[in-house]
Amino acid sequence: MVQKSDFEQINDYVWELPAAYDGRMRVPARIYGNEEVFEAAFRDSSMTQLMNVAMLPGIVKYAMAMPDVHQGYGFPIGGVAAFRWDEGIISPGGVGYDINCGVRMLASQIDYAALEPYLKDLIASIDRNCPSGVGGKGAVQLSDKELDDVLDRGTEWALSKGYAQRDDLERTESRGRIAGAQAGAVDARAKERGRPQMGSLGAGNHFLEIDVVDEVYDVEVADAMGLSQDRVVVQIHCGSRGLGHEVCGQYIRVLQDAPRRYGIDIPDRELVAAPVDSREGRDYLAAMSAAANYAFTNRQILAHFVRRSFEQVMAGKVKNWHLTQVYDVTHNIAKIEEHQVGSQRMRVIVHRKGATRAFPPRHPELPTVYREIGQPVLVPGSMGTASYVLVGTETAMAETFGSTCHGAGRTMSRNAALKQARGEQVRADLSQQGIMVRTGSLKGLAEEAPYAYKDVDIVVDSVSGAGLARKVARVRPVAVIKG
Amino acid sequence: MGRWQEIEHTADLALHLWAADLPDLFATAAQGMLALFVEVDDKQLETRTLTLTALDVETLLIDWLNELLYFVEVQGIAFTMFEFTELTPTVLTATLRGGPVRAYSGYVKAATFHDLAVLATPAGYETEIVFDT
Repeated sequence: MVQKSDFEQINDYVWELPAAYDGRMRVPARIYGNEEVFEAAFRDSSMTQLMNVAMLPGIVKYAMAMPDVHQGYGFPIGGVAAFRWDEGIISPGGVGYDINCGVRMLASQIDYAALEPYLKDLIASIDRNCPSGVGGKGAVQLSDKELDDVLDRGTEWALSKGYAQRDDLERTESRGRIAGAQAGAVDARAKERGRPQMGSLGAGNHFLEIDVVDEVYDVEVADAMGLSQDRVVVQIHCGSRGLGHEVCGQYIRVLQDAPRRYGIDIPDRELVAAPVDSREGRDYLAAMSAAANYAFTNRQILAHFVRRSFEQVMAGKVKNWHLTQVYDVTHNIAKIEEHQVGSQRMRVIVHRKGATRAFPPRHPELPTVYREIGQPVLVPGSMGTASYVLVGTETAMAETFGSTCHGAGRTMSRNAALKQARGEQVRADLSQQGIMVRTGSLKGLAEEAPYAYKDVDIVVDSVSGAGLARKVARVRPVAVIKG
Repeated sequence: MGRWQEIEHTADLALHLWAADLPDLFATAAQGMLALFVEVDDKQLETRTLTLTALDVETLLIDWLNELLYFVEVQGIAFTMFEFTELTPTVLTATLRGGPVRAYSGYVKAATFHDLAVLATPAGYETEIVFDT
């Protein structure tokens, strides 16, 4: 079992396991974080999982873990790895079952003091308009043709149907449409699962949250994002629902004999992979991208219904109840990108599993509004703690393929969390802190209690200290709908 | 009769399983997985037949569990009783019986292949399965 002493400290925030540690490693493994983060990474199997990633063919530079790293399946959560386009692999286990799970933030011009008297009505309205829970139906029912359109075109479909504003697309990673997505690569069963669920939050750690901006670190950048002190914002955290789960499961199954056929050595069957430029690799990339488009659209539809709730409850109470989009980021995806690797400009497929893209100022993929400030990065904390808005940096681009953390990261198993307190108690504690909670499952609430997560401040201070993102603002929750 | 024990996992759920033979392993895995997150109404039993083929026993086991998750999510039915008419490491034919889900106490997205190996032991079979939640 890999140990702390096997790692070398590179600087205050970077720790490296040399490739020589295990002859099967093709590159070193690196973890980003302060000493506390580094220590915590050895409490579960996340570093073994990271080492396994370093063994995959075509990996370049390092297998990397962000400070919110914890044990997952296949890749660790908080894992980043890039593989050469020409001789590398693509691995569904490097993306996970909830393809394009991500976060969207909407900003209002409403001071919390003006909204507080209506908070209960507002959260009740959002809960009615935005379905949550296992299975179930979403807010919008799609025909077969519409679902194929969603899979091919992502949020452009939502715009054409009146569920989006043009600015929303500008302020969504990849403009809410991944190039190369093909509805035809998604099989009938995945579509059967996804068709009824469009516009739904799902369950597990997904949530919809009303927050208040409680600290601004960079006024100018925050202003460009529509964020000001004491104003209300909304966060939506969810993904591609049953459609994404089915796509991942099917391709992991299809690829079970790919390592043998392609002569790829894998240390864990969840890491099955195919050459990027093979038939299976291309098919998975097309299907995964289509599922990502579904997820972007899902968050777009939810944003539409949150806007409707703001109108229903706040119109006439405040002068401006409209919500503008800050950004929408994905934290489970594999994307084709160009990066500098040593002296070479290289086309790679970057896997981010529980990690967020963090492109720097002047990157050509950024919309005009963010071109000079960098890509917004949304880092949700746990239910009872702060969330952060950051921006991407040149350091992230140079070191981590333009990637940073995605959240607080769990530190306690669900069972351990359940032993700490019952759901009723967690709800009462949150209420005492001024946080209203609506949930379909009190057990689920107890599993997601704030103490089950790392301190998001330490995670964000680590990425900020390492230069992988820069702080813009912090928000604190006032009402949460738990999926 | 097989048994399962939940094992610690930071973010997801995991089970250790012990079983006397393959039918016992498949039934125990299914019952253990469903016990993680659903309560079943067993007064309105429904029946289905299912046939699966796979390249090895691990793939067959994961296919089997994900098939049962599909029934839960899409049809709202949890199958907990099984009669295997054929079960080899690569082929499964079974009659499933179960009832509507009465309540959810959590969520399982998928059964994964993470570190999966079905081990033959003197007492039968043993394995560990990680579930994405």
